[in-house]
Order: sequence, then C-alpha cells, then structure tokens
Amino acid sequence: MTAPPAVLVRDLNFSYHREAVLRGLTFTIQAGSFVALIGPNGAGKTTLLRVLLGLLRPGSGVVQVFGGLPGDRSRPIGYVPQRVRVPAGFPLSVAEVVLMGRYGKLGLLRRPKATDRAHAAEALVRVGMGEQGARRFGELSGGQQQRVLIARALAGEPRLLILDEPTAGLDPSARARFYSLVCDLQHSDGLTVLCASHDLELLSEHADTLILLDRDGITEGPPSVVLKSDALARAYAFPAPHDHPAIPTGVDRGATRPPLSPLHP
Amino acid sequence: MTDFLAYGFIQRALITGALLGISCAVLAFFVVLRRMAFIGVGISHAALGGVALGVVLGVSPVLTATVFSVGVAWVIGWIAARGRISEDTAIGIFFPTAMALGVALISLSPTYRQDLMGYLFGNILSVRAADVWILAGLAAVSLGILALFFKEFLFLGVDEEAAKAAGLPAEPLRYLLLTVLAVTIVASMKLVGIVLVSAFLVIPAATGQAVARSTRGMLVVAVVSSLLSVVGGLWLSWLWNLPSGASIVLLAAALFFAAFLAGRWWLR
Repeated sequence: MTAPPAVLVRDLNFSYHREAVLRGLTFTIQAGSFVALIGPNGAGKTTLLRVLLGLLRPGSGVVQVFGGLPGDRSRPIGYVPQRVRVPAGFPLSVAEVVLMGRYGKLGLLRRPKATDRAHAAEALVRVGMGEQGARRFGELSGGQQQRVLIARALAGEPRLLILDEPTAGLDPSARARFYSLVCDLQHSDGLTVLCASHDLELLSEHADTLILLDRDGITEGPPSVVLKSDALARAYAFPAPHDHPAIPTGVDRGATRPPLSPLHP
Repeated sequence: MTDFLAYGFIQRALITGALLGISCAVLAFFVVLRRMAFIGVGISHAALGGVALGVVLGVSPVLTATVFSVGVAWVIGWIAARGRISEDTAIGIFFPTAMALGVALISLSPTYRQDLMGYLFGNILSVRAADVWILAGLAAVSLGILALFFKEFLFLGVDEEAAKAAGLPAEPLRYLLLTVLAVTIVASMKLVGIVLVSAFLVIPAATGQAVARSTRGMLVVAVVSSLLSVVGGLWLSWLWNLPSGASIVLLAAALFFAAFLAGRWWLR
C-alpha cells in the first residue's frame, strides 16, 4: 500500500459571505516536496492555507493531509504566519515563543516538561538561533523573528510546514537566507513545505513545484514552466512572460523533480 | 499603622482588596498582552447597566451586574469574531448603550443614587463579612482558571491563528477569558468602582512590564505592585480621608511611573 500524499485536494470549493473564493481546486502535494503557492492578492492563497490547517471548513470537496482530515492532531502541521505582533516591550522570551510549538502536542491543562523544553531548544539551534533563547522576541529583527517562528513550528515535530507569506517586510538578503533555511530543513528532515509568497524569483530557485492560484483556478508545474506561462501574465497582469526579462524563470530542474500531481500529469 | 489594622472593616477591606488585587494583576498580564484594555473599559461601564437592572428588578445588583457584564463581554467577543465589525467598534456600541440603559433605569429609582456612588467609585471599607467570602470565592475561581489555562491563554494572546492550528479550542478559551474578565470586573466594583476598575486591569501589568526582564518577573512585579497599591491606598485613604478606590488607583499609577523611570536604567 502506497503512502498517502502530503496533501490531497479534490474539487475544493469555498465561499466567504456567499462570494466564491476557491472554485473547484484539485491538486496533490507529494511528501517531501517544496511547493510554492503564488498568485495575486485576493486569489485565495491564505484561504486555501487556512482550509489545509483545519481553520476553515470547505464548502465542498475533499481535503486530506497525509490521508487524514485537516486539523487532526496526530498529523501535526507546522505553521509559520506572516508575522506575530507582541506588544512593544512585552518581556516574552524567544524560548517561550518556541515552546508554544509543543502546546498542541501537550493538549489542554498539561504543563511542558523537560523533554518539551529540550525539543524547543533543539529547534532553536536548528534555525541558527540557539544562543538567543533568553532574548525578548520583540527585540529581534524581522528576519530573526521569522526564524524563531520556524523553530516554533519545528518544535511540534511536523511533517508538513505551511508558511503564509513569511518574508513579507524582510529585506532581500534576509529573504534569501530565510528560503535557504527552509530548503535545508526540507532536505534534512524530509519535510513537505507549502509556502504562499510573492517572492517569485527566490521561490523559483528553491521550490520543486509552483501552484499559481487565481480567480480562474490553478496552474501547476515546475517553476520554469509556470513562470513562463500565460496564466502567470494574466494573473499578475504582466506583459507576456517572454517579453518581460524581469520575470525570473529559475533554474530548469524539471527533469530531476518529483513527478507532478497524478491528478495533473 | 497599628490603629489602622485594629478595625474590623479595615481588616475585611485588606483581605478582599488583596485577593482582588492579585486576580486583577494576573488578569492584567493578559489584558496587556491581548491589548484588551478598551474591552475592560467597555465591560466595566456596561456593568452599570447591570447594577441598575438589579435595582429596578429588586434583586442583587452584583448578581445582575455579573450576568449583564458577562453577556455584554460575550456579545462583543461574538461580534468581533464574525469579522464584519471590529472589536473596538463593537465596544464603542455596547459601552455607551449599556451605560445609557443604566442611567435611564437609575432615573426610575431616585432613592438609590447614594448607594450608586459606591458602585461607581468603590467603597471597599463597606465590605461586610459575608461579602468577603463571596469576593474571595470569585477571586479564587478567577485565579484558578488563569493558572490552569495559563499556557493556552499565553499562546492565544501571542498568535491566535497558530494556537488554533495547533488544535487549541481558541473560541471557548476566548469566551472563558472574557467571562473571567467580566466576573473580576464586577467583583472589583467594591474595590475601586466601575469608573476606575479598568485602570486596575492595566496598571499593575504595565508596572511589571516596565521593569521585568521576563514574563515571570512581570507577573511577580504586577502582583506585588497591585498588593502595595491596595494596602497603601487603603492606608492613605484612612489617613487623609480620601475615597478608597481613588487612593488605590493613584498609588498604582505612582508605582507605575516609578517603575517606568527605574526600568529605563534597569533594563539598559
């Protein structure tokens, strides 16, 4: 029996206040792959991620994460949001933020034990912030805060990492370092990564597959294909890609990538 | 000072004030973290509607204020969670509406105006022995809930979305925190009054934040400063014949400014 894919979405529909946001989406994400979710603002990227996290219930369709329902605590998902805003001067330490990644596993009313703290400390080391545990979270730079949020996600020992525009507000070099770190973790831990972002150039370097989401549905494939597609030009209202040298096409690694979704061969 | 402690009504006021002071200080930690200061103001002023309702219906004003405040807190939380109206706007609607209801109802019962001052500005010196047990019970329940769900409330306060994604029951916990907030506010009406209670739900935590290097330190300083404010405020109230609620809040504010100045040096 073959292992289920990391994510299986079939004919997913979702509406907010009767306005259709996701229309008939179908795609599969294979375990261990790095998938970038791109698309213009308002295309429904965050809504899709929230459905996968189990925060929103689909209107119709099938959504599975490692063969189970989204939100099933036995299949933990690491979640890295765009930003966490702690009130200025609030003395919340980096270590406390990372330890929160264990709270889902612990469940209600159970206090963290030494093993939970050890997991959190190890996660912090893995994102290169091992010495920063005692610092105030609010004092860190945006890039450091995002690393801490990755550590928080890792502390929960996830198999799937979902990132929602994690580099918004970071400078270009912090963005590049951030994606390198995510890519390293993907390879070293066999993590499946799903990252929603507008960083087309950087994602084209790291992602195995791009899923372009817009009002017409999705276009899926290797970065070299999706970034040259007319769908991208339409979605972002770019000129046609071959006429626009600024649109990155990435390194063509399509031949060595995992196969695309069986639903979209 | 010995004279001060010899009176039964002072002893009752100190015990009640200390218990509520600790509850308020711990709750203030989450009020500051979750930026709930305005909702504290809203609920405390809405309590006036509950007090007036009790007067008109001829039942315990504390009971009706509790039910009314919890109800208002839940409705504000429910409207804000729907996302069509912001929490600030929801509070801005319910705060004056509930107060207006209170004023309208009070106008139907003119003989009650004297006692009403006690609810508006606090009169902890009038606490009876039976009240001590009730208020102590409320404070213990509030503290127990905050201690039991501390890690959950902390996670929700920092990142509600991630807490939900981790499987924590965010909605019930949010309503639980709102309930604790409303009940503590009503219980504290006797201590500092409806008008000043919201200050007591912010200032101790702000004092802790000004000097502490950790969340644990912030909680300790908040509780200690809250206790100092209650004991010192009551003593000043007795010494200079000042309203107890005003004395307590003014001392809490003085401690905050001292901590703020000390923190600039201490946290450098």
